[in-house]
Amino acid sequence: MSTELVRVTIDERDVHVPKGTGIVETALAAGVEIPVFCYEPRLGAPVGACRMCLVEVEGMPKLQTACTLTAQDGMVVKTARTSEKSAAGQKGTLEFLLVNHPLDCPVCDKGGECPLQDLTFRYGPGNTRMSYDKLTFEKPIPISPTIALDRERCILCYRCTRFSESVSEDLQLIAANRGALSVITTFEDLPYTGAFTGNVTELCPVGALLPTQYRFEGRPWEIVDVPTVCGLCPVGCNVNATVREGNVKRILSRNHPEIDEGWICDKGRFAFTHLRAEDRLAQPLQRVRRRGLEAISWEQALDEAERLLRAARGRIVTVLSGSETVEQAYALAKLLRVGLDSHQATLPEEISGGLDAYRLPLSAIRDADAVVVLGDVPVVERAPVVDLWVKAARRNGARILDDAGDPALAEAERVVLVWSGPGGRGGATVAQLAEKLGLAGREGCGAFYLPETPNGRGVADAWAACCDEEGAELESIGLLVVSGDEAAADENVRALAEQADATIVTSMFGGLSAGWADLVLPGTSYLERDGTFVNLEGRLQRLRRTVEPPCPDELEWIADLAARFGVDVAPYAAAVFAEVSDRVYGGLTFGEVGERAPLRGYPEAQEHVSRAALPATEPKARRGEIRLVAYKPLFSGAAVERVAELQFQRPQPELELSADDARRRKIATGDLVTVGSNGSAITLPARVNRRLRAGVARVAIEHANGLGGIVEIEKVAEEVTA
Amino acid sequence: MAEVHEVLLAGTDEHDLRRLDEYRAIGGYRGVEKARAMTSDALIEELQAANLRGRGGAGFPMGRKASLIDRKSPKPKYLVVNADESEPGAFKDREVMAKVPHRLIEGCLIAAHAIESTDVFIYIRGEYLTEYEILAAAVDEAREAGIFGDVTITVHRGAGAYICGEETALLESLEGKRGQPRPRPPFPPIQGLYAAPTQINNVCTIATVPMILEMGAAEFAKTGVPSSPGTAIFSVSGNVVRPGNYELDLGTPMRELIYEHAGGIAAGRELKAVIPGGSSVPALTPDQIDVPLDYDSLGAIGTFFGAASLIVVDDRCCMVQLALRSTKFYAHESCGKCTPCRVGTRWMVQILESIENGTATLADLELLDSVGDNILGKVLCALGEFAVYPVASYLDKWRDEFVAHIEHGGCPFEGSSSLDGIVAPSDQHAHTPAGQEALV
Repeated sequence: MSTELVRVTIDERDVHVPKGTGIVETALAAGVEIPVFCYEPRLGAPVGACRMCLVEVEGMPKLQTACTLTAQDGMVVKTARTSEKSAAGQKGTLEFLLVNHPLDCPVCDKGGECPLQDLTFRYGPGNTRMSYDKLTFEKPIPISPTIALDRERCILCYRCTRFSESVSEDLQLIAANRGALSVITTFEDLPYTGAFTGNVTELCPVGALLPTQYRFEGRPWEIVDVPTVCGLCPVGCNVNATVREGNVKRILSRNHPEIDEGWICDKGRFAFTHLRAEDRLAQPLQRVRRRGLEAISWEQALDEAERLLRAARGRIVTVLSGSETVEQAYALAKLLRVGLDSHQATLPEEISGGLDAYRLPLSAIRDADAVVVLGDVPVVERAPVVDLWVKAARRNGARILDDAGDPALAEAERVVLVWSGPGGRGGATVAQLAEKLGLAGREGCGAFYLPETPNGRGVADAWAACCDEEGAELESIGLLVVSGDEAAADENVRALAEQADATIVTSMFGGLSAGWADLVLPGTSYLERDGTFVNLEGRLQRLRRTVEPPCPDELEWIADLAARFGVDVAPYAAAVFAEVSDRVYGGLTFGEVGERAPLRGYPEAQEHVSRAALPATEPKARRGEIRLVAYKPLFSGAAVERVAELQFQRPQPELELSADDARRRKIATGDLVTVGSNGSAITLPARVNRRLRAGVARVAIEHANGLGGIVEIEKVAEEVTA
Repeated sequence: MAEVHEVLLAGTDEHDLRRLDEYRAIGGYRGVEKARAMTSDALIEELQAANLRGRGGAGFPMGRKASLIDRKSPKPKYLVVNADESEPGAFKDREVMAKVPHRLIEGCLIAAHAIESTDVFIYIRGEYLTEYEILAAAVDEAREAGIFGDVTITVHRGAGAYICGEETALLESLEGKRGQPRPRPPFPPIQGLYAAPTQINNVCTIATVPMILEMGAAEFAKTGVPSSPGTAIFSVSGNVVRPGNYELDLGTPMRELIYEHAGGIAAGRELKAVIPGGSSVPALTPDQIDVPLDYDSLGAIGTFFGAASLIVVDDRCCMVQLALRSTKFYAHESCGKCTPCRVGTRWMVQILESIENGTATLADLELLDSVGDNILGKVLCALGEFAVYPVASYLDKWRDEFVAHIEHGGCPFEGSSSLDGIVAPSDQHAHTPAGQEALV
């Protein structure tokens, strides 16, 4: 957009806007609302389909769609407020939109928060002249287990198909047939699958595309939307949790233009029903010899925890999940480090402050000239919304590269690095690359490391901020404290538990700790916590308690236990945060974190010492060899496993192969292949992915059977049939 | 009978102009040589001087369109020929492609030279299989004869959608997308096929271009009438003795075309209406047919030259049934992108059906008018308006007949009405998608 200002007159009000500004936005600048249905700037070029925004423009004989016009100097626009012609056009459009619409608002879940209802109320005719049969369709159509489609309510604004085509680029939602019989559908009626499908339920301006989880679950006057931050991946999308009678009923996006632009992934949107999973723990459990785990009271549980902690003083090892809030991690650190002199902790991955010099908002990816995506884990599986930013960059003309040595980088002004693989040493490696490329201090240049955990950075900050002591190497583990579900689900952690004299686990789900924990303390979900997270940009964000957990919050019982060891831990997030903030976040108060947090710099944040051992570099495949990348899929983990309607999204057992490697081995998509290494092998159908680099094969970790590194891949000989 | 001056179909009676050697024998492809000897600036000037108006319906001067192309753009420039002739009543392009495909190809090469394009697409209606085969063979023959130079001509078959005759929907379809119109601006000369400068013209427009080069623009501009030089192929259908294509000078009186060339109305019947530009334009009454057949004269009496396709209607026809047949076609062909057309055309069909069935009241006539008004000028492309123009004109000029339906409690023709030969009913190609009810 140009910086040249032009004067536009909207309903006799003059307004100055940059040349090329859309007329809908220009009118807003003049304080005038132009109603729209199909117009949504985030979906790319306007389409002018719904005809709701008809305005009169001086010098043009016909009414024009404001959404497709841009501001030119001297333009005179009359909206329905001052032009009868425009008002008549708008009224006509609304009448048409309602002609086949079922007007079942009393039983429609969109009722009360429906743009069609709102605009009809404001601009529409008071009654209908339609006395003939309305079009009817079979309904609702489950276009996937998570989304129901009501074609009668659909006003064919094409927002959903445009999202599928121009934002998520999955190309699955399409319009079929023609004219009044046009319908939204998926290709061949296959379920709408992908990381971002649920966004169409929010884009839909009527009750045509609804989340199945929310159908008939609440009316707008019974619900409250609580602003918080998603805690399922390191992006930290801003969301609203819709709460009715103490239960989360749905998750909505809450547009943070620098982080998510209002898009969230299906895991963030639909996985919330894990809060009510069958094996959700509310009562502490204690191992009783020969009888296994038995429920005990909180009083008993804390006494038992105190006993175990006291017995293992100085010999406690803590395993963190990276999904704790900064406050939980700090409280736990204070209890164990200050109170019990136990400094050994393990994070699931390395975290480095080395990237702080290359900090950028995620939205900078969209504006880059070149984006280098390093590592072979699909970005979408690790930090889904980052994938949308990379796609937006490509649509804007950026080069998307996979090699930081690419000569094309020399010509690019704004370069962004994205590390999406193992071995990044928590961002230190990508920071080194950024330094080598001279990105420091260059406008629009920066680097991101995509961690595997949602708040690894915040947890590391908190653990380090608590205490300067290092503690000696332990010869034996007196007590293993396993914090959170990710750690509890980790097989390496379970192996570690076997070496420990005793194990305390905090977990939301009984299924994760049965069999190996001595004491299980029920955990809470990110949706039940007050506190802060630090996302992959290094942005400190605020989580809000959207519903009460079925058990005491972690801070509550950690504070109780800490008191028993003479350590002062406040049971409230705000107070704990104040302590952490003084040390690492520049004294920012809890209230100042903000509902749409800015990207701040925290000079006090320390370079964190790595405690987890990761290989420094990926083993390089030699010519002709293939390295197998077993990645953790987006749709996996304890929460997803407990949501029935998300199971269709879990990855198929298949091996992704580059076109080169497939050709060399005469393998086509669908062929069965064996993948072998060190004597063990698995057999999977192959899928050829032209975007994959030669020498790399990919499989979801749950289908990898422990394989990784350099592998042999062979096509299974076809059986000869007579 | 006035002297017939043929441009497009010249030589087709005597020669098999599907063949390159025969076309060359009558002077074919000399226009390309002449054109290529000129600079593109000079050629565009020549085309503008000829004042050739677009034969697809809108009548926009072809040379001026070419002058709007940004030839300095770093993007490729495209020439697209709209051969998706789908307007009910129109069959002129078909005759050109079937009888003299080389004239179209020659026109393409000249126009491509004018806009400095090397990529030409001819988008041909999917149902025109024979014409496609003839055209494709002619393209192959001309290419092999080395006439193309660095130009490629691609003949692309449509898939059976009327809307793809709309220029921007055609471009979408050509790009492999769902055929739906784009908002304008940007117009195709600025941002057309693959967002590059694109010239789009009808078959007859492009096929006229070689004659401009042969005659010289100044001479060409003297033919026809000053505001509309040249000839047009008029497709005459409906209740005439000799339906068919007649190439005549623009400005020829409509009466002459109907009564002399097409043989007039069969004995014992009377002329009731003429729809002069294909089924989408307002109809004329018998007292209006002395009008000269050119863009401005027809415009002056409230209708359109359109696709130069006259549908002649005699007194056996019930105008409500005709309105219904026409509206059903446009409802069936509405692409579904913009609201007024998608919803309004179906609603119009419902109202017209109730008038024909005798269940309507006088208020429904007002409603029909009003629904039409809410479509006119509010739609994304002209298709919605094409549904309204004819119906509004029938309702205006034959209002008594509509009122009679209401007062009579049904069609006053009581089954004796005939629409034989007056455009085909859309039912014959209507299909209902599996698992869904019919449109109305």
